[in-house]
Amino acid sequence: MKNTLFTLFATVACAFSAEAKLNVVATLPDFGSLAREIGLDKVNVTVLAKPTEDPHFVDARPSFVVSLRNADVLIDGGAELELGWLPPLLQNARNPKIEIGKPGRVQASQGVRLMNVPANVTRAAGDVHALGNPHFTVDPIIAKAIAEHIAQSLSALDPANAAFYEANYKKFETTINAKLQEWGAAMLPFRGQHVVAYHDSWPYFAHRFGLNIDIFLEPKPGIPPSPSHLAEVIAQMKAQHIKAIIVEPFHDRRIAEKVASATGAKVVDFSQFPGGLPGTDSYVKLIDMLVARLAAALK
Amino acid sequence: MWEVMFWPIVACVLLPWLLVYLGLHVVQRGIIFIDIAMAQMAALGICLAVLFRLDLESWTAFAIALGFTLIGAIIFSVTGRRANQIPQEAVIGISYVVAAAAAVLLLSRAAEGDEEIKNMLVGNILLVTPREVWERFALFAAVGIFHFVFRRNFLLVSFDRNGAYKQGLRVRWWDFFFYAVFGLVVTSFVRIAGVLLVFSYLIVPAVCGINLARRIANRLLIGWFIALLGGIGGLFLSYWWDLPSGAAIVCTFGALLILISLVALWQHRRRRSVGMLHSQ
Repeated sequence: MKNTLFTLFATVACAFSAEAKLNVVATLPDFGSLAREIGLDKVNVTVLAKPTEDPHFVDARPSFVVSLRNADVLIDGGAELELGWLPPLLQNARNPKIEIGKPGRVQASQGVRLMNVPANVTRAAGDVHALGNPHFTVDPIIAKAIAEHIAQSLSALDPANAAFYEANYKKFETTINAKLQEWGAAMLPFRGQHVVAYHDSWPYFAHRFGLNIDIFLEPKPGIPPSPSHLAEVIAQMKAQHIKAIIVEPFHDRRIAEKVASATGAKVVDFSQFPGGLPGTDSYVKLIDMLVARLAAALK
Repeated sequence: MWEVMFWPIVACVLLPWLLVYLGLHVVQRGIIFIDIAMAQMAALGICLAVLFRLDLESWTAFAIALGFTLIGAIIFSVTGRRANQIPQEAVIGISYVVAAAAAVLLLSRAAEGDEEIKNMLVGNILLVTPREVWERFALFAAVGIFHFVFRRNFLLVSFDRNGAYKQGLRVRWWDFFFYAVFGLVVTSFVRIAGVLLVFSYLIVPAVCGINLARRIANRLLIGWFIALLGGIGGLFLSYWWDLPSGAAIVCTFGALLILISLVALWQHRRRRSVGMLHSQ
């Protein structure tokens, strides 16, 4: 009897807490992964873009609108990375809880000093983002700031669990601080080295770990590589003995391979998003892998 | 469900009727890929607007895109001769690849990512706004009236070209009107629905109608029915299984066409066996 009552009580409690779970929607998998670190089982996290998808172009499906309509919290980059696809979705979802300025809206770029802010935006510079480079989550220190921002938002909307979110943030902060020593040490031998990337997604990563990722296979952001530009990149790579070319899952790997075979460099598969490489289901595992892969290629 | 799917459904009810009708012309003329060529011409116009750094929402940009569509109309009406060694479809194909390649060249200089062109050719019916639906409905109504008023000439030019020449009709001019208006309709629909969906709406209902009926009015009715069924059915499937909406509609059309073809085959065989019984 006592047992049955207990089960009943537990079931009701579960049902209640399931009821009370916050619906968190993240536009991109990196924000989703941070939200899970903070919310754990107290929130439902839905991520719109797939980790292997180009974050500039995401194909909308009906469930995206439904998720946004039912969202208590929306986490987006806030730096125009999702400019091509998020605004029409939000317009269709018409959810006042996740409007800009509400506690339910976390714009990850808030408080982040964006790099490479263009002095004046002209179309001649390519597909540039007016607010600065939006690929910032790969810097672990910025990731900590985003996680803290998420914890504040969750605490404001669900005060009963505020201590829980705060504790999870502290834990994440401690982990990152410890890992930063490790990652920094692994990258130290390569300080100042040049690395080539397909797209300009890595200035924050480069800045954190003392690398120079400033030569790109794309002549301008979003513009496919042209023969003369590739010839120039190959010449630069030979002159500076560059050993690695970073590509992401949605880039044309064959172009990187062609350049690699002309220069003797290695193609390194990278991803900005947890889940974009096999075995990287969390943020820490992702950075672990990026650091390990790059160190192996530069050795 | 309704909140998300309402406007896509409205768009699929209010807009395709004109495409189905134009599709009957297109299939009869044997110029199946004209819509994709026209859309690509308009996209080339937008590329030029990008190159000149015009605001793409401005009237100037719209006028340039329209101008390119008219150039397409001129090309297709001049090359569509009475008896021609070169099939019209070859000219259409060439126009498409050259326009697409020219767009790549222009963009490589314009330095704007291909986002604009993607937006131009890959509309998403799921995200259609009420304003977009009403604007297109108004345009389609106007074009529908134009076609209705001059239906005798348009039908004659498409369905009985020799007859049209014999009656002394200015066939080339009517061709030009047809293509110009057609380009306007296709370009405006592509923006909200994408190239795949426009192609399906033009061709599949028309082919179904031709499969099942001989008179144009009946073909049109069957086509409209198929267009409604495929559009709304596809949207429902897209909602239930969470699939990209445009692609879901296109595949629903494919399935409907297979079904209709089987019905037509069965009808045909029954007619033949009845005919054989009579002859015995």
